[in-house]
Amino acid sequence: MMTRRQILKAAGMGFGQLGLSNLMAKPHFAPKAKHVIFLFLNGGASQVDTFDPKPMLTKHHGKPAPTPNLKTERHTGNLLASPFSFKKYGQSGIEVSEIFPEVGGVIDEFLVIRSMHTDQPNHEPSLFQLNCGTRVPGRPSLGSWLTYGLGTENQNLPGYMVLCPGFPVVGPQLWSSAFLPAEHQGTHIPNNEKDPDKLIPWVRNQRPRPEQRKQIDLLNTINRFHAGDPKLESSIQAMETAFRMQTEAPEIFDIAKEKESTRERYGDTDFGRGCLMALRLVEKGVRMVQIYFGNGQPWDNHDDIMIHKKLAQQGDKAIASLVKDLKSRGLLDETLVLVGGEFGRTPSVETSGLVNVQNGRDHNNHGFTMLLAGGGIKGGRVYGSTDEFGFKAVEKPIHPHDLHATMLHQLGLDHTKLTYRYSGRDFRLTDVEGTVIDEWFT
Amino acid sequence: MKVRPVLAKNCFSCHTNSKLGGLDLSTRESLLKGGKSGPAIIPGDPAQSLLMKAVRFEDSKLKMPMGGAKLKPEEIAAIETWIKEGATWPESPKPAVAAKGYVITPEQKAFWSFQPVRKPTLPAVKNARSSIDRFILAKLDEKHLKPAPRATRTTLLRRASYDLTGLPPTPEEVDAFLADKSSNAFEKVIDRLLASPRYGERWGRFWLDVARYSDDKLNSTMDEPQKNAFRFRDWVIEAFNKDLPYDTLVKAQIAGDLLDNKDLVAATGMYALSPEFQDDRVDVTTRGFLGMTVACAQCHDHKYDPIPTRDFYSLMGIFTSSKYNEYPLAEKSVVDEFKSRKKEHDDLTAQLKDHLKKQADQLAEILATKTADYIKAIAEGKTEAPGLDKETLERWSKYLKKPTYDYAFENPLKAKDYAGFEKKIIELNDEKKDIDEKNNIRLGGSKLRGDLSRADLLSLERDKYFFWRDLFGNTGVLIYGEKKIDRWLSPEWKEHVESLRAKIEAAKKAMPEEYPFLHAMADEPKPHNEKIQIKGSRQNLGDEAPREFLTILCNGDPKPFTKGSGRLELAEAIVAPDNPLTARVMVNRIWLGHFGQGIVRTPDNFGVLGERPSHPELLDYLAARFMENKWSIKSMHREIMLSDAYALSTENIPANAEADPENRFVWRANVRRLEAEALRDSILYVAGDLDLTTGGPGVKFMDDNRRRTVYGYVSRRKLDPMLSLFDFPNPNSTSEQRIPTDVPTQRLFLLNSPVMLKASEHLAAKTGSVPNAYRMLFGRAPSKEELKAGLDFIDAKNTMPQYLQVLMSSNEFLYVY
Repeated sequence: MMTRRQILKAAGMGFGQLGLSNLMAKPHFAPKAKHVIFLFLNGGASQVDTFDPKPMLTKHHGKPAPTPNLKTERHTGNLLASPFSFKKYGQSGIEVSEIFPEVGGVIDEFLVIRSMHTDQPNHEPSLFQLNCGTRVPGRPSLGSWLTYGLGTENQNLPGYMVLCPGFPVVGPQLWSSAFLPAEHQGTHIPNNEKDPDKLIPWVRNQRPRPEQRKQIDLLNTINRFHAGDPKLESSIQAMETAFRMQTEAPEIFDIAKEKESTRERYGDTDFGRGCLMALRLVEKGVRMVQIYFGNGQPWDNHDDIMIHKKLAQQGDKAIASLVKDLKSRGLLDETLVLVGGEFGRTPSVETSGLVNVQNGRDHNNHGFTMLLAGGGIKGGRVYGSTDEFGFKAVEKPIHPHDLHATMLHQLGLDHTKLTYRYSGRDFRLTDVEGTVIDEWFT
Repeated sequence: MKVRPVLAKNCFSCHTNSKLGGLDLSTRESLLKGGKSGPAIIPGDPAQSLLMKAVRFEDSKLKMPMGGAKLKPEEIAAIETWIKEGATWPESPKPAVAAKGYVITPEQKAFWSFQPVRKPTLPAVKNARSSIDRFILAKLDEKHLKPAPRATRTTLLRRASYDLTGLPPTPEEVDAFLADKSSNAFEKVIDRLLASPRYGERWGRFWLDVARYSDDKLNSTMDEPQKNAFRFRDWVIEAFNKDLPYDTLVKAQIAGDLLDNKDLVAATGMYALSPEFQDDRVDVTTRGFLGMTVACAQCHDHKYDPIPTRDFYSLMGIFTSSKYNEYPLAEKSVVDEFKSRKKEHDDLTAQLKDHLKKQADQLAEILATKTADYIKAIAEGKTEAPGLDKETLERWSKYLKKPTYDYAFENPLKAKDYAGFEKKIIELNDEKKDIDEKNNIRLGGSKLRGDLSRADLLSLERDKYFFWRDLFGNTGVLIYGEKKIDRWLSPEWKEHVESLRAKIEAAKKAMPEEYPFLHAMADEPKPHNEKIQIKGSRQNLGDEAPREFLTILCNGDPKPFTKGSGRLELAEAIVAPDNPLTARVMVNRIWLGHFGQGIVRTPDNFGVLGERPSHPELLDYLAARFMENKWSIKSMHREIMLSDAYALSTENIPANAEADPENRFVWRANVRRLEAEALRDSILYVAGDLDLTTGGPGVKFMDDNRRRTVYGYVSRRKLDPMLSLFDFPNPNSTSEQRIPTDVPTQRLFLLNSPVMLKASEHLAAKTGSVPNAYRMLFGRAPSKEELKAGLDFIDAKNTMPQYLQVLMSSNEFLYVY
């Protein structure tokens, strides 16, 4: 690897004049995975109604838990049984809720991590933790670190794309590059927008391409007249890439190009279409695609957990189809697929004055489930567990730092070495924490 | 030669309190104990001592000082002799300052940035134009670097124009400068540019990066504009244009509300428009004004700098003893009038709403008692029946076909027990009312969100609730809300409602437009001290931290502030002439704005982990001059820009590039990309489209916005795509410098944005010819080959706008050379 000094010499330019990262970007060791697809169930999906069955909840429904409820955002009362039944799926026999039958069908691909936890029971800090490592704003997001560390495989597309119809809570800060060079920020795609032209600013050529070609040739000529200009090569490259992007980028988002039967398997929902776009983007070499389930916080069902059923119907077959198609196209081995929200929900019913009906669950940062597939992860297994009611991660608890450390590891990056010096200090996605969980891939 | 001073100077910043690599060099015991790699010294045996290996650069992985120059041979020899002779160690001197439980060592106190600013003697150098050049040339000489030739006059004018106004020179300005043969021609240019209102728009914006200015709040669910935020932005621009002394600028922003001059209140917008994170105000104060990262000490003592956690909470107490305060910019009578009119309107609206809700609920109860009749009529297939309301009948019919929500529902048409159904819904509503009343008691009548979220309340069972909601909820079968209830009201009631509505309408008309105000600060009536939050947790409180200044910047123990919140005392401590940081930090920012990199390249971090100054004496000289000139920022620009160093060309000198590739020692000028603002403004400006109106509310970046970019709407929630694409800083926290990037998506803006395409058209209407285009865009004539390339392009049936778009996308336009 070239040193920073050598690169500066080679490039013949001063400090801060160039995003150095792309030149330096390469894995620390042989990677298992090359891409990440993060399906974010924003609002916080309930673990005990989806992937972490708790018979004890059913048994003790309506009674107080034997130990006081853990502190969450709002007041909760007695235990609330899941209205959904669970069933064993696949070779592994992992139990999945009736609202996710299609995901159940591919559960053998997934590692079911039932012992996730974050530090606070509020959306904002937990969203930040899952996406940027720390509770507070101002740190680069996972996707930004990935493109910073690994560069991009397709010069014609942004390396990190975020699909959300509208915005999740907190918004663009969740895909911010913060102090990393701005090229690493996520490109937000409003995937409820069906016109592919509107997805990337100014991507559609406003002059006929042959005319643009002549303009760019002239531009290169004019720039070359200034011999010794340190900006020459990078500006030519950037313009040539932009020229190509104009045709390539909108096409990828145009899922009408897929067969109707394919589109049907994903479902005609924002999330379903998003999953199909993610497949096409990863095929084209985009480093990370993140899909937020919906605007705001759809999974935040304080009032009525039955809404989970409706939501699951909008996502179930899309998740399963994505996993299947990645596999059939030979991409699952090199793509990490992560499914989950910023936290789970309480096994106890919310009784606060902010709900009209007491059939919902409050935020629960103490224990929740995330699913991880592909990219060298050994699926068909359950990792860790919550207590008998599903409140708190008790066995092998996993903090977002551990999740991030392990994901980076699969992508060939040592989370302790992926650093960026800013304002005099080396920063990491995992701060000074994080353990790579070998068990997940061995 | 003594050993300890050598260690202190070169090693202590990382190997005392910070204990990097686990190694502490502050005592003999800790040297013997060593760090992660083992003991640092073995007395009597220099060859086996790691310290010797490190300073001799024997092991490629263990070269100390890390990243620094090797110690001088005589220093290395002294350490060797000392170890050989048994490594005796004098008793440690007493710590200089003792905060409770925290010791700042003499070594920490000796760190470069905490030393008083001393105006250094000027190095003796031949052929130096200015004092600044003496420092620059002396350093170049020392490093055996040769300065690049002087830039051409056209380049210099372009550079100066962008530096001070963010706009290129006009062709007339170029002509005038080239024609002016007087020796002070460039000085006159600088004075002209500094006097331009465009100057404040440029440098005010740089300051707004530090002040993390935005026009809205970071609201997670919706846009929340701060209508009057622009008044702070305009105040900053005006302050720069007026050359408000920097010490006043600092005091005004921290404590303008506590100063006599009421024109300074607006400046406290810097704090009033805070993103409201716990550490934000401490962070922006210490990084922004002092180059100290005090917010790092929120959870633990600072790992590298002498900043105990207590200092963080001392400062935080100052800000939590202050509050957000809207400061009206209207006569009291106007304010009172608006408030009372608004109250009148809001009260009447609430009264009407309340009244109609009661009516609707009563009506629903009455209608409920006729449920059996309605259901029976529907069962008999009737669409109207005497004594039954037609609309209600329709509503029932629709509902019985399909309840709106998913719940267990027994259809009375099937059960055929109409009276039983009626009884059931009446009981259901009674049960709901009973629960509501009990909950109201549990809440003590409170409707506060915090109280509600922590309350333990009762509710109907789920299925019952949704059943109730379909009948008695806001859009329920039996509910006739505000717009529908009129026909049910008796004449007297109806008259009452109409008269209320008329009053509301009148009150709305009578309500004047909201008066303008400043987002400002004020002291809380009862200031308080914060308690230290151990590991940053509000649940785990430690000792009280009195409101006072940073320990390291005080002579002896800090003295608690006594006047109100202490903000004014804090501001005064920051701008005190013996504060070693404030002037250095600001002159470094000004230098950065002219050279593309600071003398200290971490403008917000003058601590251990920040970079060391490339020219420490020059930095001190500038800081001293800054204070001598009564903190005049414009004088600082003049002094810097009149140096030869500022006028260097960007020409490469291979031998220099080999020795100093980052141009740390200023042997040439750096090529700098235009910032988002300068780029957009320039495109509009050369096309003759730039609207130079000053001030006013932030304008969204729609296609017809032709204002200077500094007046554009800056959002914390969703930054404009053009701004973020061209590396505008994140307005959620203080930003130390722009990091320019060069990415393909930026080129899409040049290729396809309406801004660019329109400007090409408009510019074409003004230029007409290739030579004229070069003159208007670059202030020069095209070379022979440039002329030919242009003419060939146009001859090949391309248009003038297409040609001009190319010129505006060229490096000469996008970069300052």
